[in-house]
Amino acid sequence: MIEKELVIIGAGPAGLSAAIEASKANVDVLLIDENQKAGGQLFKQIHKFFGSSAHYSGVRGIDIGKELIQKCEDLGVEIWLDSVVIGVFPNKQIAVEKKGKGLKTIRAKKIIIATGASEKVINFEGWTLPGVMGAGAAQTMTNVHRILPGKKVLMIGTGNVGLIVSYQLIQAGAEIVGLVDTASKVSGYEVHSAKIEREGVPLYLDHTIFKAQGTKEKGVTGAVIVEVNKHFQPIKGTEKEIDVDVVAIAAGLKPLSELANMANCKKTYISKLGGWVPLHNENMESTEKGIYVVGDTTGVEEANTALEEGRLAGVDVAAKLKKLSNSESENIKKQINKRLKDLRLGPFGEDRLKAKKKLIKEYNKYIKAQRPVNDYNTGPKAVIECNQEIPCNPCESACKFGAITIGEPITNQPKLDEEKCIGCGLCLHKCPGLAIFLVDKNYDNKNSTVSFPYEFSDLPQEGEMVEALNRKGEYLCEAKVLKIKKLESFDKTPIVTILVPKKYADQARNLSPIGAD
Amino acid sequence: MKDNVIICRCEEITLGEIKSEIKKGARSVTDIKRRTRAGMGLCQGRSCEILIQRIICEELNLSPEEVYPANDRAPVRPIKFNILGAELNEKV
Amino acid sequence: MNNRINNHPILGKREEKEKVEIIFDGNKITAEKGEMIAAALYANGIRINRYTIKYNEPRGIFCAIGQCTDCSMVVNGIPNVRTCITPVEKGMVIETQYGLKRSGKTND
Repeated sequence: MIEKELVIIGAGPAGLSAAIEASKANVDVLLIDENQKAGGQLFKQIHKFFGSSAHYSGVRGIDIGKELIQKCEDLGVEIWLDSVVIGVFPNKQIAVEKKGKGLKTIRAKKIIIATGASEKVINFEGWTLPGVMGAGAAQTMTNVHRILPGKKVLMIGTGNVGLIVSYQLIQAGAEIVGLVDTASKVSGYEVHSAKIEREGVPLYLDHTIFKAQGTKEKGVTGAVIVEVNKHFQPIKGTEKEIDVDVVAIAAGLKPLSELANMANCKKTYISKLGGWVPLHNENMESTEKGIYVVGDTTGVEEANTALEEGRLAGVDVAAKLKKLSNSESENIKKQINKRLKDLRLGPFGEDRLKAKKKLIKEYNKYIKAQRPVNDYNTGPKAVIECNQEIPCNPCESACKFGAITIGEPITNQPKLDEEKCIGCGLCLHKCPGLAIFLVDKNYDNKNSTVSFPYEFSDLPQEGEMVEALNRKGEYLCEAKVLKIKKLESFDKTPIVTILVPKKYADQARNLSPIGAD
Repeated sequence: MKDNVIICRCEEITLGEIKSEIKKGARSVTDIKRRTRAGMGLCQGRSCEILIQRIICEELNLSPEEVYPANDRAPVRPIKFNILGAELNEKV
Repeated sequence: MNNRINNHPILGKREEKEKVEIIFDGNKITAEKGEMIAAALYANGIRINRYTIKYNEPRGIFCAIGQCTDCSMVVNGIPNVRTCITPVEKGMVIETQYGLKRSGKTND
């Protein structure tokens, strides 16, 4: 088993920036990516990025990618490319097919999942014909492989991907014969749309693609688009036939969170973020402690937010591994969060900001609903209320599990080791002072139980209702008698167990029959 | 949308087949997967899961939050048996 | 139909790359070193990579990043090779995949 402090899965902008931040703090980082090159989607982005100067604004995606990779190399980050993580298992174990070396298993102290997103699709008659492809596919072919997918392209979808890829296809020499969207207005930034509109690209809003047509030998050769009404139903008679050799589908992206899901990270559905997204807190930690989710994996936004989320996670991991002081990490995080807030402004950003806030809220709701491990049903524990130094130590020998210690001299006050205490209650009747109680704080969601010795003649019956009293004999509440234990070995000291609301667990120490004086 | 439109590209499952299973009682993506193999092909639902979710929402009048994705299990990417089953070589 | 982009306003002039010869369905095809198989075929006007097993329908590049498997072809006798993420090698034998196999008949 290979041991690593931090394994980052995915070397896109989020993964790379997480690696940089963690490496700067001397965390031992392994960065894994299934592609032959690091950089994720950055290498298709030949356009200049938006945002502030901290986000490389005005710089082309491909150049940002090169810079991030260079920084990683300078910091000596170990990178495995062409290596596929096939699973993330309990105890933060990772199985990865390393290029040329077969299957490796790694145990990580912390994991950051930065696996990005994949294109959504829409289906229509003829959508499986060769030549019908995702907009991202058209972009990859054009900008990475330098192959023009076709000469006449119909683009479906006017989100930023549809608009940007249309522009890039025009730059590469294709004609966009139409830009289609069922919405009444362009979904992406107006400035992107303006760039292609001034190239004369016809905009078909309130339209959808009815079918793609073609042959088995050539693939797609034409498409039929149709106007839709306000219920997005096609309006008969408005069909338009267009000659195309490529239909590009820009239907949005959805997070790729399989690894987070199989590692039991909880998720929720938020349509603004692309669909089902893993929950995370302000530090990008998922509901599984030590596993972080960043970038498009946890909400489709942009490369600049991915960069920042990656940084957040990298810094938090360094702090949790004690490689960065709390004050240092809080300071850096503050700056990152300010930048993230700035990126989520304006009519486009606001929706995403709201969505992210909702996501963090759901995370907090989930965590609160889980019982913290050390409170969960630990069973009854002894509570010793003996606070004076008196020479007495039967409790020490009463406990067969070594949970009570007095030692020498025997005037020492008894010390209880809760871990060793199994709640058997044997000490209760052995204590001459009747000063030991048994309390089960989390008996159920609402109640606790309190057990105590009761040496009076009005001993109640099991199932009876009694009055629970505090240390001063004052009435607390009505309580049900759950159990009466009377054993020979108890030497005439019965042990009574009553059920009280949780808030009285530390107060209820006696009972009296209902209505007694 | 014609019923013969393909939904699962890998296994070539049509819209009609999926609707028919919903009529017979399929309620979730996993139900459809098990009855038709949609989502079990080489891409493991990467293309069609979202389409199947939409169809279930439409046919059963559910909102997207109510249609859970299928479970994810290892391996999340295709891997050859001879790699998976080989002796682990820890010498990196 | 040569679809290679020779001059691009941002990416610049196409670099001359070493030529690599591969064989597609018995015909010699000129590819470039480091190129993905699917891209090399597309550049030579071939965009049908396989025919499906049930309905014998043609498929080609759909996602271009190795996730949809529609570009799968038989490469050096091995089927289901995702050609959009597999680089060419000299002398590679590439065949249109029919169903899950290499033969010219489906459901073989």
